[in-house]
Amino acid sequence: MNLLLALSVAVLFGAGTFLMLKHDLIRMAAGVLMISNAVTLFIMSVGLSRGQAPIYPLEEGRPISDPVVQSLTLTAIVISFGLTSLLLTIIYRVYTLYGTLRGPDDATHDDHEETTSELLAQRTRDESPRERSQA
Amino acid sequence: MLLLPLLIAWTTAVILALLDGRRRWVGWLAIGAMTTVFAATLRLLLDVLQHGSREIVAGGWPPGLGITLRADELGIVFALVSNGVLLIALIYEVLEGVHERAMPALVLFLATGLTGLFLTGDAFNFYVFFEVSMTTSFVLATYGQRQREIRAALIFTVVNLLGSVFFLSAIASLYHLTGTLDMRALTAAAGTLEQNSITLTAAFLFVAFGVKLGLFPFHFWLPPVYRDTWPAVAAILSGAVANIGSYGLLRFGAEILSRELRLSAGVLVALGTISILYGALQAISVRTANEALAYSAIGQAGYILVALGIGGPVGIGAAILYALINPLNKTLLFLATGLRGWLVGAAFAIGAFSVAGIPPSLGFFGKAALFQVGIADNSAALVGLFFLGGALSLIYMFQIYQRVHWITEKQEQSSSVQSRVLVMGVAVLILALGLWPEPLLLASQRATDMLIGGR
Repeated sequence: MNLLLALSVAVLFGAGTFLMLKHDLIRMAAGVLMISNAVTLFIMSVGLSRGQAPIYPLEEGRPISDPVVQSLTLTAIVISFGLTSLLLTIIYRVYTLYGTLRGPDDATHDDHEETTSELLAQRTRDESPRERSQA
Repeated sequence: MLLLPLLIAWTTAVILALLDGRRRWVGWLAIGAMTTVFAATLRLLLDVLQHGSREIVAGGWPPGLGITLRADELGIVFALVSNGVLLIALIYEVLEGVHERAMPALVLFLATGLTGLFLTGDAFNFYVFFEVSMTTSFVLATYGQRQREIRAALIFTVVNLLGSVFFLSAIASLYHLTGTLDMRALTAAAGTLEQNSITLTAAFLFVAFGVKLGLFPFHFWLPPVYRDTWPAVAAILSGAVANIGSYGLLRFGAEILSRELRLSAGVLVALGTISILYGALQAISVRTANEALAYSAIGQAGYILVALGIGGPVGIGAAILYALINPLNKTLLFLATGLRGWLVGAAFAIGAFSVAGIPPSLGFFGKAALFQVGIADNSAALVGLFFLGGALSLIYMFQIYQRVHWITEKQEQSSSVQSRVLVMGVAVLILALGLWPEPLLLASQRATDMLIGGR
């Protein structure tokens, strides 16, 4: 069970990191989501113990499973849900402002206008060849 | 008493979220609420300094089981500085005119998160408040909603989400190793653990707070974000949110994992040195004021790290003092870059002197404490490094001054008188604290005693 959990955490984290390095913003968001799920799983795995459910009328003598990690996991899930939706909102704003889902390059230009026109040029390049030929 | 700043900030933030922050009276309401939060924090600080730390266990659980809120000397001084920075930035933005309805509410939510984070005694609760403040600052970074702010917010969000992931894993493994989340119990338990098992946890924590603070290998997100966000937001990020990093390093490094901190002293000093030199040299080479200040922030974080690496009462004391002074300088400088006019130039110059550590500004005491660290460590190299860092900071500060305040190619319109007076007021505050530094020195001394004696 431990090995299985460790493997799942590793695979999730690795795949998430791979996706995060992509230029496409939706893939990057998916990567962030996978990494935060890997951590959720990791929290579960640190308190893995067999025993009866920790609900009040307890049987004497039998071990009790750790309830703390469950609540930690729940909190972490809620927080990562909120953050992911915020991230998606920001990505949507990027899309409406830049008109593309390829990440806004951190150009070293200080001149803002220049960056904008370059991105617009890039946007026309990214559109389908048919439209370009029409233009 | 302990809950007061937290409750005021939270309830007013919720109320303000329903109102339109662009209206003048809502802005002033937010300023009133933030002033109350600041006053309550100040009151709590005086109380803690007189009677020692205060503690509340939530829900009436016995200590050790329930979630503890604890105001000790270290946390409360950081809370005071952060709330002060938030107050200044909020007044500035209201005077300049708020552009978005959520902005005043967000500042109060940030105050909630930061106050909670500095006043909690529970590691997981620390994470929750940490996320409250990070989420708020992600939204604040989009303030302005032009392309550049959104791009900055995206970078900021993604990199800091990764930092949070590292922090959460570290908390989970600390719980696995010690079986507790209470910071005091963690401190007691961490000293007895086997070395191998906890080293990785310590490294995770260092990465998490290094990202927040913008230390050298984790700094790459910082310049574009500080450059592209709104001046008031940049001041909030560098003056209040970055405090999480220095506080976290002090709390988790110097208190809970003090043995691991001593073990990694060499690495910390090396990374700190690189941060100082890299930040200063980059700040000299870039062209815009905000970007130079961003690199300067990387350099200033390096000083804290070097002092922390040297350790001992002198080193930790210097780290605390520097971590408290630096946000004030940064706030003044970032706010001043957003304005034009004659008072602003003088205010900027005072901030620049403070960063370089020239008396009678407040920064002098931070630098003096650092030199003390170098002398106590008997290291000429360290003293030389601090001197070089100070000299370089004087160079880039005056490059900025030259570009922003000497050369006026186009007829630039001066900013409104009120905001210029506000920025000058912050500069006067830095001068006044430099002339009468006893309260700050006393507070940081007490925080140091608490950290060293708490073991």
